[in-house]
Amino acid sequence: MKLQFDPKGWLRRLWFYLAIFGPGLITASADNDAPGIATYSMAGSTYGYRFLWLIVLVTVGEVVIQEIAARMGVVTSKGTADLIRERFGVRITAFAMLCLLLANLGTTIAQFAGIAAGTELLGVSRYIAVPVAALLVGYVVLRGSYNYVEKVLLVLCLSALSYAISAFVIRPPWGEVLRQVITPTFQNDPNYILAVLATIGTTITPWAFVYMQASVADKGVELKSYRYTRLDVTTGAVWGNVVSAFIVICTAATLYVHGVRVETAEQAALALEPLVGSGARYLFSVGLLGASLLAASVLPLSTTYAICEAFGWERGLDYPAHEAPIFYGLYGGIIGLSVLVVLIPGVPLFPIMWLSQSLNAILLPVLLVLVLKLANSRRVMGGWTNSRLQNALAWGLTGMIGMVTLVLLISSFINS
Amino acid sequence: MLYASQLQGLQVWDAWSQPVGRCADILVGDLKKPFPPVRALALRNGDVKVHFIAAEQLSSLFPSISLKVPKTEITPYQPRGDELWLLDRVLDRQIVDTEGRRVVRVNDLQLARVGDQFCLTGVDVGGRGLLRRLGLEKPVRAMARALGRPLPSGVIPWEQVAPLQHEDPIRLRVSHDKITRLPPADIAAILNDLDRRTSEALATTLSDETLADALEESPMDIQVAVLSRLVPERAADILEEMGPDEAADLLADLPAQTSAQLLELMEHEDAADVRSLLRYPEDSAGGIMTTEFAHVPAGLPAGEALDHLRRSPDAQDDEAMYYVYLTDEAEKLQGVISLRDLVMAPSNASLDAWTDKDPVTVGPYTPQEEAAYLVAKYDLLSVPVVDENTGELLGIVTVDDAIDAVLPTAWKKRLPRFF
Repeated sequence: MKLQFDPKGWLRRLWFYLAIFGPGLITASADNDAPGIATYSMAGSTYGYRFLWLIVLVTVGEVVIQEIAARMGVVTSKGTADLIRERFGVRITAFAMLCLLLANLGTTIAQFAGIAAGTELLGVSRYIAVPVAALLVGYVVLRGSYNYVEKVLLVLCLSALSYAISAFVIRPPWGEVLRQVITPTFQNDPNYILAVLATIGTTITPWAFVYMQASVADKGVELKSYRYTRLDVTTGAVWGNVVSAFIVICTAATLYVHGVRVETAEQAALALEPLVGSGARYLFSVGLLGASLLAASVLPLSTTYAICEAFGWERGLDYPAHEAPIFYGLYGGIIGLSVLVVLIPGVPLFPIMWLSQSLNAILLPVLLVLVLKLANSRRVMGGWTNSRLQNALAWGLTGMIGMVTLVLLISSFINS
Repeated sequence: MLYASQLQGLQVWDAWSQPVGRCADILVGDLKKPFPPVRALALRNGDVKVHFIAAEQLSSLFPSISLKVPKTEITPYQPRGDELWLLDRVLDRQIVDTEGRRVVRVNDLQLARVGDQFCLTGVDVGGRGLLRRLGLEKPVRAMARALGRPLPSGVIPWEQVAPLQHEDPIRLRVSHDKITRLPPADIAAILNDLDRRTSEALATTLSDETLADALEESPMDIQVAVLSRLVPERAADILEEMGPDEAADLLADLPAQTSAQLLELMEHEDAADVRSLLRYPEDSAGGIMTTEFAHVPAGLPAGEALDHLRRSPDAQDDEAMYYVYLTDEAEKLQGVISLRDLVMAPSNASLDAWTDKDPVTVGPYTPQEEAAYLVAKYDLLSVPVVDENTGELLGIVTVDDAIDAVLPTAWKKRLPRFF
């Protein structure tokens, strides 16, 4: 007989749910991190409601992909990089880790760009704010007080909710909005395609996958309570995307209609003006800062951890720096490089934020192909391999990203 | 030197230079030997089916694999089930380096000809193994040599590693012998570094005492995870082995139902100790104290007091006996004497001269920070915990448990493990 925990009584059940709940909420908040807000604001202000159908599609994709990550974590109790290395050997692992590093470096730069944009709205120079933020993130993570700070940052992220409220204050043409939700449109122009890729790339990210699998594996969720995890993942993903859709609606209803194409954080903040008036810039910058700091804490660490895991280098904050030089070196390197890029004089913060997400999307298929192979391997997953529907959706998504990337290449070639 | 990665997928030729298939895996046997011999090669011949060739029929392995016999005379090898499949089960997996006492990843496997056999000699866990797999070993080595800093070889002798695969119980038993010999803190670190399932599999092979010691050194979430996957009877045995304070901490972190069940299964005396500790909040002196301390009846002369200590089961359990507590029949604290003074005192002398009659004490509900503060302020190695109303001596808070409360390491333990 094994020890069993039988969740009887609603209180215990609630506690049980809260103990398992979590990674879904974090990754959902990360949907609306600085690059996320930038991408949706850009998309809404440039193309109106035309991106709403894509958000629906991407939501389905995110639910499927994040569910695979959680299931792989529960079944194997191992990290993504660990599984890739054991199954595919050194060469493919090295390639996959290079892609992961590039994608995550881009996104980390975007997070620090978000911090710069957010603090500049408050009137603080980025040359002060960004180095301070980097030190703060490093201190919080290395000192180990991350768990407490995480809760504060999650609360700050709630300010993204103001878009949802704002959307009802603005009263957009709901009929038009609904029509766009169900009507796919496509334009063959490089900027539009880049925006499509950014929308996919900011929602379905390599790091969210790796983070999800690692946290679920780490929590040691039992297979019999896996349905709670699946619920967490699904609600998290859907919720994150509902907020994203409201960002698009707000920017479309306030900026697109006046022909303002968002190119700075200042313009993006205008979308919140109908709700809070002149306080919009503060509300916007708080949301941007909270989400960026949260992601800037988690992202470089999970990237570094995955790479060290793949190659068997000492890793984790339990080790002192001299015993895990590569781990700490890489971690410091990612943050340092990101800070430097953001501090280049005259670097356009807003485009950095969303273009990094296009890069994310272009690199995503590499990881997706590998994890889909793993998720279909009986040796790895036992009886928990992908269903036919999951495979159809996941491979469909992978193929679609590949095709859009290809179209981008062709179209920029023709238009140049 | 010959490496397993160089054989992977290599064409196998028979005695007449006819292709037989490609090398799919290398099977070694007799794992307890320092250099386990290669027993057979697994070959794949285009189709999915794998066939085996006994090592006796191999004439060379590198630069090309060739057989001593023509294709028609190959006697197929029957795997006995106790072989280790090097490419499938060891290469790219995690392994415990018992010399360096850490979990490492296998970048390559070193083989060598010993007499008339091919043997597994070592595991490459270093950068050179990685570079070799990437096809970059030669250029990087040449470059490093030109710079005057030759690349270190990261090869660990096979004797000093323990492969761990939870799906592979035979291998686990061999590895377990090597791991039990490590210090408990290292075992805990290894249990912590391994993925969950492997870590649990390893835990089930360890002895109660080893596991109890290792658990005491582990972060709480690992303790809970490891313990809750054991059979309840075994879990109770391990809790008995642990110090009551550590056991109480662990039980407090388990679901109420489970901890009640475990307390039922524990021996009465151990369970009573733990229960008395569980009454107090985790962050109070009562929550971090231990009930295992040395005490003697007040009023005995030095010699008799020492004799009493030698016979006392409580003193027997005291892990670090810095002080001896003097109590009356009602277990009320009468004074404290350091073990040093007790030993140095003349055998027939009264202890009064060396006894601190009014020692610093705390109550069971005193916050742990306060206890830590007193320990630091008065330079104590432990502080007695006394019931405020009855004056009864309940237990002691030792310096290591007291400072845990105020050191930043206590914060660190709360981080998710994968970071």
